[in-house]
Amino acid sequence: MNDTSIVLEARALSVRGPRGVIVEPVDVRVHAGQTLAVVGESGSGKSLTARALTGLLDPALEATGVVRWGEREFDLSSNVPWPSLRGSAISLLLQDPFTSLSPVHRCGVQIADTVRAVAKRTGRRLSSREVQSIVTDRLREVGLDASVAGRYPHELSGGMRQRVAIAAAIAGDPDVLIADEPTTALDASTQGEVLEVLAALQRERGLGIVLISHDLGVVRGCADDIVVLYAGAVAERGPARVVLDAPVHPYTARLLAAEPPLDHRLERLEGIPGSVPSPGQRPEGCAFAPRCALATELCRTDVPQLSAVSRGGVVACHHSSTPLVSEERDRAGTARTVSFDDALLQVRGLRAHHGATEILHGVDLAVGPGEIVGVVGESGSGKTTLARCVAGLHVPSDGELTLGGVALPRRLGDRDPRDVQMVFQDPYSALNPRLTVGEALREALAVSGRPASDAAALLESVGLPSKYVGRRPRDLSGGERQRVAIARALAPRPRLLICDESVSALDVSVQAQILALLLRLRDELGTPVLFITHDLAVVRQVCDRVVVLRQGAVVETGPVEQVFDEPQHPYSASLLAASEPSLELKGSRA
Amino acid sequence: MSSAPRRALLAGWASSFWGMLTLRLLGVVAIVLVLSVLIFGMMHLIPGDLVRNLLGLRPANPETIAAIREQYRLDDPFWVQYATWFGNALQGDFGTSIRYQVPVADAIAQRIPLTATLAVLAMIIAAVTAIPLGVVAARFHQRPVDRAVTGVSVLGLSAPAFVVSLLLLYVFAYYLPIFPVYGGGSGDPLSQLYYLVLPSTALAVGLGAILMRLTRAAMIEALASDYITFARSRGLSETRVLLLALRNSAIPIVTAAGLVFTYVIGGTILVEAAFALPGLGLMLQDAVLFKDIALVQALVLVVAVVIALLTVAVDLTYAVLDPRVRSRRRAS
Amino acid sequence: MTAPSTTVIALRPAPRAGRGGLPGLILTGGVLAAALLLAVLGPVLAPDALEQDILLGVTPPGTPGHPWGTDELGRDVLQLLIAGSGSALAGPVVIALGSMLLGVLLGTITGYVQGWLDFTIGRITDLLLALPVVVVAIVVAGVFGSGYWVTVAMLVVLFAPSDIRLVRSAVIEQSARPYIESARMLRLSPWRIMFRHIVPNVTPIIVTNALVNFAIAIVALSSLSFLGVGVSPGSADWGRQLDDGRALLLSNPAASIAPAIAIVVVACAANLLGDVIAARAERKGSAE
Repeated sequence: MNDTSIVLEARALSVRGPRGVIVEPVDVRVHAGQTLAVVGESGSGKSLTARALTGLLDPALEATGVVRWGEREFDLSSNVPWPSLRGSAISLLLQDPFTSLSPVHRCGVQIADTVRAVAKRTGRRLSSREVQSIVTDRLREVGLDASVAGRYPHELSGGMRQRVAIAAAIAGDPDVLIADEPTTALDASTQGEVLEVLAALQRERGLGIVLISHDLGVVRGCADDIVVLYAGAVAERGPARVVLDAPVHPYTARLLAAEPPLDHRLERLEGIPGSVPSPGQRPEGCAFAPRCALATELCRTDVPQLSAVSRGGVVACHHSSTPLVSEERDRAGTARTVSFDDALLQVRGLRAHHGATEILHGVDLAVGPGEIVGVVGESGSGKTTLARCVAGLHVPSDGELTLGGVALPRRLGDRDPRDVQMVFQDPYSALNPRLTVGEALREALAVSGRPASDAAALLESVGLPSKYVGRRPRDLSGGERQRVAIARALAPRPRLLICDESVSALDVSVQAQILALLLRLRDELGTPVLFITHDLAVVRQVCDRVVVLRQGAVVETGPVEQVFDEPQHPYSASLLAASEPSLELKGSRA
Repeated sequence: MSSAPRRALLAGWASSFWGMLTLRLLGVVAIVLVLSVLIFGMMHLIPGDLVRNLLGLRPANPETIAAIREQYRLDDPFWVQYATWFGNALQGDFGTSIRYQVPVADAIAQRIPLTATLAVLAMIIAAVTAIPLGVVAARFHQRPVDRAVTGVSVLGLSAPAFVVSLLLLYVFAYYLPIFPVYGGGSGDPLSQLYYLVLPSTALAVGLGAILMRLTRAAMIEALASDYITFARSRGLSETRVLLLALRNSAIPIVTAAGLVFTYVIGGTILVEAAFALPGLGLMLQDAVLFKDIALVQALVLVVAVVIALLTVAVDLTYAVLDPRVRSRRRAS
Repeated sequence: MTAPSTTVIALRPAPRAGRGGLPGLILTGGVLAAALLLAVLGPVLAPDALEQDILLGVTPPGTPGHPWGTDELGRDVLQLLIAGSGSALAGPVVIALGSMLLGVLLGTITGYVQGWLDFTIGRITDLLLALPVVVVAIVVAGVFGSGYWVTVAMLVVLFAPSDIRLVRSAVIEQSARPYIESARMLRLSPWRIMFRHIVPNVTPIIVTNALVNFAIAIVALSSLSFLGVGVSPGSADWGRQLDDGRALLLSNPAASIAPAIAIVVVACAANLLGDVIAARAERKGSAE
């Protein structure tokens, strides 16, 4: 690749805040028609890097470094003429299509805004007819009909909205598009569509794309090159195939290992112990050292520099210079097959409404003793409503719920807390910010008459040191908070535990820890779990049986191995296909 | 149809946009009706003998008492009295003012133009100054301009309308005799307007402070949202970005407009008192003082109806401004 | 509502930025404390404020013995001001506190329990919010007489609905959060959930609002006494003093300007204090 095809290049790009450096000096290079993936978990600073490249950092943050957009090069600490770059040289696509478009303006107007803004900068005068025809062209490029121009964003589905956003972003014909987690807020099936649209645009326009993501599966099919960020610094960089198939940095290797595979169950799902340090709390030396199995004294004092390794990549590590391959990935585990005569939880003909709309149309479900049953579905399938009905938080309009043969009261007010407990999705609002961990746990213990002194043991059973009893939620990481939430839910020793997307908001490395914890708790306590999720790979790792839900009805149910390897219903098959990690949009690359 | 589907259908209509609007309208009408009962019933709560009050200055002898009792149907049950009164009111007949000896409706109609002009003028002055200031303050959030504007708005909030009136009177009528001090001016509209400049400015100060804060808060939130970041990243000019944010801010500003209306009404009364303007405010005070019951009742009812109509107008404006409301179904 | 992004964490001010806003806190708090002290000590500091000296009549500021002059009844303006601080501030304190209490109690219950109670109180609230304060005050004064505490009681009733609404919507927002749903699933008693879990988490809003209400109440009460409502004739009161002093703008402007400034300054201080507290609360804990 010669230099003239570089559409974006950044040297020593760094971001500082009031507490110090957030993103260490990073080099970035994007070629025309190629995709650079920037991969990292929370706290890696990947979004800030994107914002710095478009000059949209919060005013309190400061970016330094030299960036070249096509032919034009500027030092970030000087006055960069951003208005002449944005929209025409570089553009940004945001994560959430539900908030990135103005809700009170029609889609066509928003796309036209970009066209007009860029035209004005280049001094072209366009009539409104010309603008309209350009808008229609852009919509067609992203696979949408011209009539969408007259609609408001809230009238469109998530996938369509993201396409409109893409159309608006490229309407000024930029050379580089930074896509910040463009598919994270979408269903699995829609994710594929949107990635296809991006790939098509790249082919037709020679668009350079910077794809920011925490999801290695998304990255796997689209990326030509990958940069792995950890705690604001580059851990590894290289061609996609190299980094993904033969990672050299221990973090990359552990990250890949923590990713739950869809096609088989692992005997042990290994997360990375600990959690990502936040910007003000990064250790001296290598930021990854506290969590790294290869760490030595050198790692704790000296920051490793990037050095080249074979096959075209660079790595920042003192110890590793050859690919680390995990053998854990090959050892297959087995799901439990529980045969039971009397299911512990029996759901029959469950119907539920939201106002006038029926969400669940007669759902049947059973959970046997000691089983982990997964409920999967896309948004709108009713899986959360189902969970809330079983939990007592939503009153069903019809149907039977029995636990251990005895009918479960529909209203929460009539229930016994020792029957059903739930762990929710968002760890950041799962705990009362004003109570210490100990106070929250003691309150939960008191409910079932257990002594307050059990709190310490409860913490240890979820893998937290007993001294956390005095901590407040704001001092805990997401994974730690979720553990406390699990401990609180288990305090009254419930007969059934519901997990509603309990790992969806966590980093991959932490997610694996929590899944391992749930499996261990199930083994130790025998508590059956109803596991709600949209992520099929997680189901494969953790569940014994699975129920597939579509628009309020069960389409298939059975043991995980059976349903995943030989799905009977076309919808199950399409869900599995959409979750396949390698959408081969790139073909094979050298 | 059995009851559950019928209930669901009703619930469905009730959560649709038109359904919600109709319910709101009905609610407002109900409020006005309840208020009217209270207003009417108030008559009986006034201390002192009702008949004597109604007589006012006329002599109290058996004939006049009987005449009063007949005129006000005092021997009929409460609900009949109320119905008569309300029925008459709907036709525009509010009775006769004891003090002015003219039909109440006429007395009120004569003073409406002054009060209405005062209020509208004040709102225009406030809107034209405060909203742009709010936008500027939000755009330069936490910079000196913002701090200055916010500081001034605190003064506007803390100074009661009558204090501002007095200050303006002192400065412009005594020191710089530009504007007239008291009264509502002679007949022609232009002169009337002249007399209203100071009073409406006094009213606009407090009003403007509230509006400025609302605008600023709504704009700050809008400017921090994703769609603005996305707009900037596509190269839209700063002016266009501000317009986008303002268009989105219109919704929370209008929603809070109800707060503004009650302020206007109270402020109008105060300003009229401070400037001795012969408007509805002074008329209300006098009417209460002289126990001119029919007039008081009519005035309060007029105020209630005006507020009710404005509330409905706000709801409709909200629907025009926010396309989501038109197609939204309220989640239970 | 996912993990606070790196930007949010990065933007948290470096430690020891507590200096920001502290001078404002001290200044406004100081002014308010001074005003309240004056109100309490009023009877001691100016016991003869109401004493008239008809023969003396109006005198301008700087007259010996009367630094701010006298009004047409010969009453010393400064003494009158000090004496009037009681009625100017006592009522607003009661109004702000009373409204806050009603707001917390009714707002929390209706926001958490909802149902028919919420509906009824909601409609009553709507009704009360639709009433302009001044109009109601005038009419009620005409019917029930215009005593000070009657007026204060009426203002408590008229201010409460906005507090109730504010608390109610804050409570509804908190109730949807997982930690409250967990508390409900643990079958903790509703009272415990409401007052041990929810209310402590909405306190910042409540306190700021109470301060703003205090400022509004000062303005409202003085406006009403200006109109003659809510104060017994002849008693020391800032609004009354202002109205009385209107005619003396040429002979002794201090007679009306002094109470005017006093009203504005105290209300300003309360408003600013509310702003400062709101800003600090936002900086400290919003990223939870």
